[in-house]
Amino acid sequence: MRAAVSQPLAGAEPRLLRGPTLTRTTLVLGTGALALAAAVVAALAIGSVGVAPGDTLAILARRLLGLPLAETWPATAETIVFDLRLPRVLTAALVGGGLAMSGAVFQALLRNPLADPYIIGTAAGASLGAVLGIVGPALVPGLAIGLGSAWLGLGFIQVLAFAGGLGTVLLVYAVARTGGRTPVVTLLLTGYAVSAVLAAVVALLMFQSGRALAAVYSWLMGSLADASWAELGFALPLLILSFALLLARWRRLNLLLLGDAQAATLGVDVEREKLRLTMLATLATSAAVAISGTIGFVGLVVPHLLRLVAGPDHRLLLPASLLFGAALLVLADLGARLVGGVPVGIVTALVGAPFFLYLLRRARVVVVA
Amino acid sequence: MAPRLRTPLLILVALLLAACNAAASPSAPASQASPSVAPSVAATPTPIPATTYPLTLTDDEGREVTLEAEPERIVSLAPSSTEIVCALGACDRIVGVNDYRVGFPTDVLAALEDVPDVASFTGVDREAVVDTEPDLVLAAGNNLTPPADVAALTDLGLPVLVLYPESLEEVYADIELVGVALDAQAEAAEIVTDMRDRVAVVEEAVAGEERPSTFYEVSLFSGSIYTAGEGSFLAALIEAAGGDPILGDATTTAIQLEDLVAADPELILLGDAAYDPSITAESVAQRQGWGEMTAVVQGRVIPLPEDILITRPGPRIVDGLEALARAIHPQAFE
Amino acid sequence: MTVVAPALASLAGVSFAYSLPGGGRREVLRDVSLELRPGELVALLGPNGSGKTTLLRLLTGQLSPDAGSVALDGRPVGEWRRDDLARRVAVLPQQLDLPAGFRVAELVEMGRAPHARSLFGSTAEDERAVRQALVDADAIELAARYADELSGGERQRVLVAMALAQEPELLLLDEPTLHLDLAHQVALLRTIRRLRGHRSLTVLAVLHDINLAAAFAPRVVVLAEGGVAADGAADDVLTPALVERVFGVSVRALQAGDGRHHLALNLEG
Repeated sequence: MRAAVSQPLAGAEPRLLRGPTLTRTTLVLGTGALALAAAVVAALAIGSVGVAPGDTLAILARRLLGLPLAETWPATAETIVFDLRLPRVLTAALVGGGLAMSGAVFQALLRNPLADPYIIGTAAGASLGAVLGIVGPALVPGLAIGLGSAWLGLGFIQVLAFAGGLGTVLLVYAVARTGGRTPVVTLLLTGYAVSAVLAAVVALLMFQSGRALAAVYSWLMGSLADASWAELGFALPLLILSFALLLARWRRLNLLLLGDAQAATLGVDVEREKLRLTMLATLATSAAVAISGTIGFVGLVVPHLLRLVAGPDHRLLLPASLLFGAALLVLADLGARLVGGVPVGIVTALVGAPFFLYLLRRARVVVVA
Repeated sequence: MAPRLRTPLLILVALLLAACNAAASPSAPASQASPSVAPSVAATPTPIPATTYPLTLTDDEGREVTLEAEPERIVSLAPSSTEIVCALGACDRIVGVNDYRVGFPTDVLAALEDVPDVASFTGVDREAVVDTEPDLVLAAGNNLTPPADVAALTDLGLPVLVLYPESLEEVYADIELVGVALDAQAEAAEIVTDMRDRVAVVEEAVAGEERPSTFYEVSLFSGSIYTAGEGSFLAALIEAAGGDPILGDATTTAIQLEDLVAADPELILLGDAAYDPSITAESVAQRQGWGEMTAVVQGRVIPLPEDILITRPGPRIVDGLEALARAIHPQAFE
Repeated sequence: MTVVAPALASLAGVSFAYSLPGGGRREVLRDVSLELRPGELVALLGPNGSGKTTLLRLLTGQLSPDAGSVALDGRPVGEWRRDDLARRVAVLPQQLDLPAGFRVAELVEMGRAPHARSLFGSTAEDERAVRQALVDADAIELAARYADELSGGERQRVLVAMALAQEPELLLLDEPTLHLDLAHQVALLRTIRRLRGHRSLTVLAVLHDINLAAAFAPRVVVLAEGGVAADGAADDVLTPALVERVFGVSVRALQAGDGRHHLALNLEG
């Protein structure tokens, strides 16, 4: 028998465990935070009416921090920055972060680096809800509550979209569950099938939509043009909660990468955990989609890219996705505004897709077994 | 508490928070307790009052809008309201318009030359609107101005009047409403009187004439044919002009080709020819299934360059009505 | 008088059958009873389909018995909380695809999950356990390497380290030698024996090589036809007659110089 097997831990020896190395963590999260801050300031200062960056910061300092600064800027600038752009930029940050983080979770859950947060039916269900809300009053005049009017303080459409997204995933999960287990492949296929059916119904409704077609189209492409404090108030608690709960589950996501069997022997209640993660990610995605429509690519490209750069450890990947997803969407929305107010989903697709292709060719794609 | 329950409970709390937030968000500002001036439909000459401010008006969507003082800086988000404002003599007060300047009278075009575009068919540029510091915004109803933009501008404290007339009487009412808002009630009354007189002339001219079944082509798009919908303003105009309109669906305004062929119009008016020179009587005759219609056979297919007048519910809509009547009953207007 | 230690893990009258996709059931274990006492090193043998892997899965709680009970520390496995169970029982799987992009130390840290206390970091305790596990598994020099750069033997040592990081009392090995060459097989089993001593582990290893099992484990359990065909010291239990009955193979017992029996395949006739 070999001697001296159990050596007491000498204090001078270097630590083995620092999570992903401390330098890597600082670098990635630091860059993310900086990128987000820069994007936010840029998006608040730039637009069809320009506001000097100095004025922008001063306005924010005065309104948000209460600093008693002399008002050297025109009153319209303050309205534009604080009442028009700020809710929109905050929404972009929350939605972008939420979609990216949900994308990371689904990519781990489904063991597919090409998964996005909509893959098991959220987009199709939310679209159906929203289109029903937009087109319904046109088809059945008795429902003419109006697009911008309030129901529980929030548009009819947003509530239907949220319910549609969440409900569809529950349906898909229930259908895919056989014998107390939900195999990944079944989940994917069921999601695909249900999405196809709902998409057909949406297409039918679009055909009947008449004058509302432009509104439907804008929603489907994903747009932040109607961001408002009211919508933010609805989505914020849901998003913050799901962010917090998902961030805390990094360990279990890592364990799931080892496969269901091994994760179980390491103490994970695999079926329950998968359901919990699916529901949390869907909650975030549905809340995001309800207020901004189905914005594509953010939830796919950001976590995928970050996994290539920062590694698959969710302790870093989840917060990094949050920061970079937020920064990306804020910038994309700025671009969308500058190009004449196109739906931001067009920008993310036009920029995201080619960039993704470029990456697939250059980098080694990290496939999680 | 059992960890298993913790997450669902937290989610429930968050949902409740979200619902409370949503329910507590501020509703539209309450109207001031000031005398509201009901727009008067003057049929007989009565002394025209001057407008006093502050003033609360009710627009076409039932919204109560308060004006603190006479508006000096007006943003018009629809061409029809632009024409109303200009007709009332307040063209110089317009500080922002919709970018669609087609079909304006030349004097209006000239007056608007230096006015910035603040809206397009994709939506309203809210920042640009705010930047012009308006004290009155005129929008169009029925989703023509996106309701979300109307709500956003209202939330910013701007007075937004939404106009959506669905009949000649309502056009008169809108002109008078804007007249009240701009303290131009005398001008408004004059315009409305003039419009009524001209309409009466048209009605008299076509009274007693036989009404041809009339198909008004609004547009063809992706295999669908769009025309005057059942109960629409356009249908009412055609009737006032002495025609018997063939009607499309009430909500989509579309009509199936089969139904059109079955209805067999005696007269076809091409509203879309005003924008597309390739649409002519000859091109219509060559369309599959159209060649056998009475109107085509008898050569009564008429392009209408005045479509923009017919479809713009402003002061010049009567010009449009007259053009319609002349097309339907040319002999009554020699 | 010897005091018999209470059983660490036990199966009592356990029966289990798999449901077949086309309907019907395939009975794998019938009325099996077995006890593992603390500190034992047991090899589990048997032909394919005899229920070895099933037995392991019953011990980890992955499967529930149709009849009888499976208990750990006297309590039925089904009543244990997942993470409590994971703190006591570790499995060294046959093979595992290690996710790329993780360093070995980080993978071994995943074995600490059942013990994890802090929300985002690792405690000094975790650091110590991981280091110890790597040292014990003879894999400490691999700590900074990436998982996808490892050879088969190195990967096996990492898996051992992951299991040890759980600091289990019962270690289950599911045919761990299946994909290893002879040198690595021997190295692995030597490591396990060494560890059993200083970590007070109880080990149950499913092996397919009879001689290796006999050399490795003081106690051998042979499963056949749904039941326990033999249970005891290798020398006593692994007779040519048993081997012929259970495996259908003819062998001869040879006595080696160290007094131990070895079984040689009889390929003639």
